Amino acid sequence: MVNSRFTEYLVYIGNVALAILIGLALGALIIWLGGYDPVKAYTGLFETSFNPSDYYYFASTLSYATPVIFTGLTFAISSRAGIFNIGAEGQMYMGALGAVIVASMNLPSPLILPMALITGTLMGALWGLIAGLFRALRNVNEVVATIMLNWIAFWIIEYARNYGLGDPRRQEKTISMPIEGRLPLLVKNTELSMAFVIALVIAILVYIFMWRTKIGYYIRVLGAGVKTAKYAGIDPRIITLYVFIIGGALSGLGGALEICGRPPTYAITTAASNIAGFGFTGISVSLLGLNHPILIIPASVIIGGLLAGSRGMQIKAKVPLEMVMAVQGLIIIALSVPGFTFVYRRWRIKKALRGGESA
Amino acid sequence: MPELDLLGGVLIQSTWAMMPILLAALGEILTERSGVVNIGLEGIMLISALFSVFVADKTLNPWLGVLTAIGIGAFIGLIHGFISVYLKGNQIISGLGINTFAAGFVAYSIEVFWGVRGYYTPKPEAKVPRLPVIGVSPLFLATIAITIVLFIILYKFDIGLKIRACGENPEAADVVGVKVELMQLTSTIIGGALTGLAGAVLSIDWLASITKQLPAGRGFIALALVNFANWNPLYGLLGSFIFGFLWTASEYMKNLEYFTRAIPMPLINTIPYIATLIVVAGVIGRSRPPQSVGVPYRRELD
Amino acid sequence: MCVDNSLVLMKDIVKVFPDGTIALRGVNFDLCKGEIHGLLGENGAGKTTLMKILAGLLKPTRGEVIVKGRKVKFRSPADALRFGIGIVMQGLSLVPVFTAYENIVLGSRGTKPSREFVEKLMKEVGLIVPLDAVVENLSFGVRQKVEILKMLALNVDILILDEPTTNLSPSEIRELFKSLRKLREGGKSIVFITHKIREVLEVTDRVTVLRKGRVMGSVETSKTNPRELAKMMVGREVELLIEKPPWRPNGVALIVDELEVMGDLGVPAVKGVSFSVNYGEIFGVAGVEGNGQIELAEALAGIRKPLRGRIVMNGDDITKLDVSERYNRGLAYIPEDRKVALIMEFSVLENTPLTEISYNKELVNRMGFMKIKRIVEKSMGIIKQYGVVTPSIYAPARSLSGGNQQKLVVGRELMKDPRVIIAVQPTRGLDVAATEYVRNLLVKMRSSGKAVILISSDLDEILGLSDRFAVMYNGRFMGILEPDKVTDEELGLMMGGYTYEEIKARKV
Repeated sequence: MVNSRFTEYLVYIGNVALAILIGLALGALIIWLGGYDPVKAYTGLFETSFNPSDYYYFASTLSYATPVIFTGLTFAISSRAGIFNIGAEGQMYMGALGAVIVASMNLPSPLILPMALITGTLMGALWGLIAGLFRALRNVNEVVATIMLNWIAFWIIEYARNYGLGDPRRQEKTISMPIEGRLPLLVKNTELSMAFVIALVIAILVYIFMWRTKIGYYIRVLGAGVKTAKYAGIDPRIITLYVFIIGGALSGLGGALEICGRPPTYAITTAASNIAGFGFTGISVSLLGLNHPILIIPASVIIGGLLAGSRGMQIKAKVPLEMVMAVQGLIIIALSVPGFTFVYRRWRIKKALRGGESA
Repeated sequence: MPELDLLGGVLIQSTWAMMPILLAALGEILTERSGVVNIGLEGIMLISALFSVFVADKTLNPWLGVLTAIGIGAFIGLIHGFISVYLKGNQIISGLGINTFAAGFVAYSIEVFWGVRGYYTPKPEAKVPRLPVIGVSPLFLATIAITIVLFIILYKFDIGLKIRACGENPEAADVVGVKVELMQLTSTIIGGALTGLAGAVLSIDWLASITKQLPAGRGFIALALVNFANWNPLYGLLGSFIFGFLWTASEYMKNLEYFTRAIPMPLINTIPYIATLIVVAGVIGRSRPPQSVGVPYRRELD
Repeated sequence: MCVDNSLVLMKDIVKVFPDGTIALRGVNFDLCKGEIHGLLGENGAGKTTLMKILAGLLKPTRGEVIVKGRKVKFRSPADALRFGIGIVMQGLSLVPVFTAYENIVLGSRGTKPSREFVEKLMKEVGLIVPLDAVVENLSFGVRQKVEILKMLALNVDILILDEPTTNLSPSEIRELFKSLRKLREGGKSIVFITHKIREVLEVTDRVTVLRKGRVMGSVETSKTNPRELAKMMVGREVELLIEKPPWRPNGVALIVDELEVMGDLGVPAVKGVSFSVNYGEIFGVAGVEGNGQIELAEALAGIRKPLRGRIVMNGDDITKLDVSERYNRGLAYIPEDRKVALIMEFSVLENTPLTEISYNKELVNRMGFMKIKRIVEKSMGIIKQYGVVTPSIYAPARSLSGGNQQKLVVGRELMKDPRVIIAVQPTRGLDVAATEYVRNLLVKMRSSGKAVILISSDLDEILGLSDRFAVMYNGRFMGILEPDKVTDEELGLMMGGYTYEEIKARKV
């Protein structure tokens, strides 16, 4: 019996590895069709992400893993409840906005960082709550609601940048987080800040929350079905709200941490370009990590590598860095059909047939 | 009177604004009626838009561009359909993957095709010509025709009954010999094709450009519209007109100082999305989806 | 066996499912022209699987199927239909939102059969249905007729019926049998899948008995008797009588007053029900499935809010209380669907606190953390006390057999030491050993002074276990009686819609 759990784990890992391989392989095909050299492209990818000879790049990878751990956790928690919260993008925007707002107020030094993080978390939670209310009270499809809110958040940030929180000297970004509000760097002269450590701690806390607390248990029970939830004495609407609030808070915190922890800008740039995409990337991270908080950590490093490596791909092989997002999409599509599960099932039938003959 | 002129202008412009949402919604109505859910509409629009611009620009023939868009949309529909219907994969994740892929792929391709970054404007000859006198696009007339045809097929023809049965109770259809999986795959392909056409409207008809954010959420607004229309093409027509009108009106507002002084421009841009939320919140609960939508049909379920 | 050659011959059929279960272990089956052939067996014997293969819904892992003299390999029901084979599945094979007419003409290729054709068909076979009514508004008996008409419209001459009398009242069953005989006279051949020995004896010409994927015997109906069939079905004499200590009711546990509950289809499923249950007694609710029993149980548990009426437990009005509050006051609910009672992906351990964690302070500390040690203790306790066979408490619930899953659910609920237990179809789908175990458990609960409400469509179970019972029909109780004070005929009449008063008054 222990054998079967073990084989189940092997199957899962097989699915994930297969999906990554398919994504990379098809990506290479598209790169080649575009007239670029896939070998150079992937070498460049590797050089700026997991380069063993220069720690700067691995630090970059980890710095990109940081925000997607948060957005990944948002998606993971909601997935476990059977809900598709794809609003991490907007929730992160609002969190970043919160931090920028704090940066614009003249608070005493020791308060800036904690206030920025708290404000960002609360604003993300609020943004999540709005989507949650639509879903819980009016039964609105959360996919539609969260995407609409993503776009609304986007324009709110643009509004803020152009009409009040913009940097008076450089219109392409908002006010930057002052030095007192910035997180210390983990490794000098890299982009990797304490935010990464905070992300790791939060991931572990989320794990403990989901598997060791009553509310976390309720969230997972809701994922088994509304009927079961009601049977257990749970109010599905209240748990739905919890899911959206906690998810929004996590992405909000992630957004605030980007403002407080991302050199050199420590601000939001035009069209939120420096934080855009993290929300959706969180989905691939969560799927790769099988919607499990601890597995999300290695998944985020893999995806963080893709993000960091996109620069190298562009520099070395001139491949536009958005290609990396296309690869992510292919990986997600591959993950929608667990390939190894087919093989596993066939193997079990054969085993049962052999057993049946002797019966 | 200038006000009437303005209204007329808004109405005409609305015909464009409503097309992409309506076309994608019609496609998704068909798809969901057969039992498959495709949330990758945004991605299909985007990729079809890209290829239609490319072909139309190269050949200076907008109609080839339109055909390309339909073909590409059908192709992606085929992939999603194959994954959903035959491989029994997770339909939501597949759709999310399509959207993510499209965002990266289109940005990449713009550079590959034309060597520019961010956006490309097609040559004027590549654009779909306007109809004389009325001033709307011929694709608009096509869209209306498609709406009516889809309605008739779904409700008055035998094949429509079979498709709807697949979405309501696939086992009931299977037991009488309806080829459920084939129906679902075909519906998804046609749904993709219609969404592809929506992409062409965006890139070589109305907005006449290609960027990586071209649909700007319209694929998801189409999903909301499907619900609002209660999976009925005629209600979809009505709903898309309301959306189109709102979107156009908000665009006009941006040009009127009266409004921009009261509401700053970026916030005017939020109007379509807020409107979608309000409409969807007000309508849900009164609509009735096909009972078996999104659930892959399995016979060996024991 | 058959006068001419067999119409259908299935040879050495083996069927293994993707998850490894072996449903059929080499089954031989044949069907003659113009006969009604019963396929008898318990739940899980393989009857439905065998017929699904014949109807083209499943492919055999091994074996041959020969229809009308030709070897066939059906890849879909469409293939089987071409050979005139059609199956009417248990449960709904109709599209609820379509009309009867739309459902009947659904499968036809090319042009739809015209209205006139369908009306003529109805008269020919004596099955009349309202063609323009929407199916979800029709009773089960009428839906059954629509199903059969659907098949006939497709020129089916080999008709397979899977448990067709579920959800039918006795009078509807009689009508169905009349129609089947008429069809047989018209040259059709019918396979009648059931687990009800009485029905097999009434309407079939031959009967084949399956047990655990094997044929136990195939006999002419006129030459056999109930005990022989039961023995083949089950492998031993079926012991339906359970040792029951004398009835000692001990105070009122539950009072239900004029309860009205809304169903899922927009009409009330429970239309005014009143009864009381005492401690130390088993109160049964009999009746054909689909007459409001589930909605009643859900209303008592708090999962469904009633439209009107009161529920009083132990002297307190609990009508407005939510589920966890009711659990807290000593109510336990064993639902019909194991997939609701258990979360299959969760381990046995994680399923343990499911219905307790919402109110039991012993399982959760003040910070909201679960007390894992306590829950482990409970889990091990349940496994030991109720004999749940599982390699460990960390095994996922889906790895347990159906019987052990049910034991887990029952054990979990009873471990709470409840005062009122609601059990819905507690022995459905269980093998004989597990069924006996659960039934004995319910009797033990009764002896230790608990109040048990047993809702079951198994009449033998109700009559054997209850001290008092009600017959539910169309959302109402037709009568509340004691098992030894009612005749089979009266029971049948009540299940068919007559109240006990009516029966006694008219002296039917």
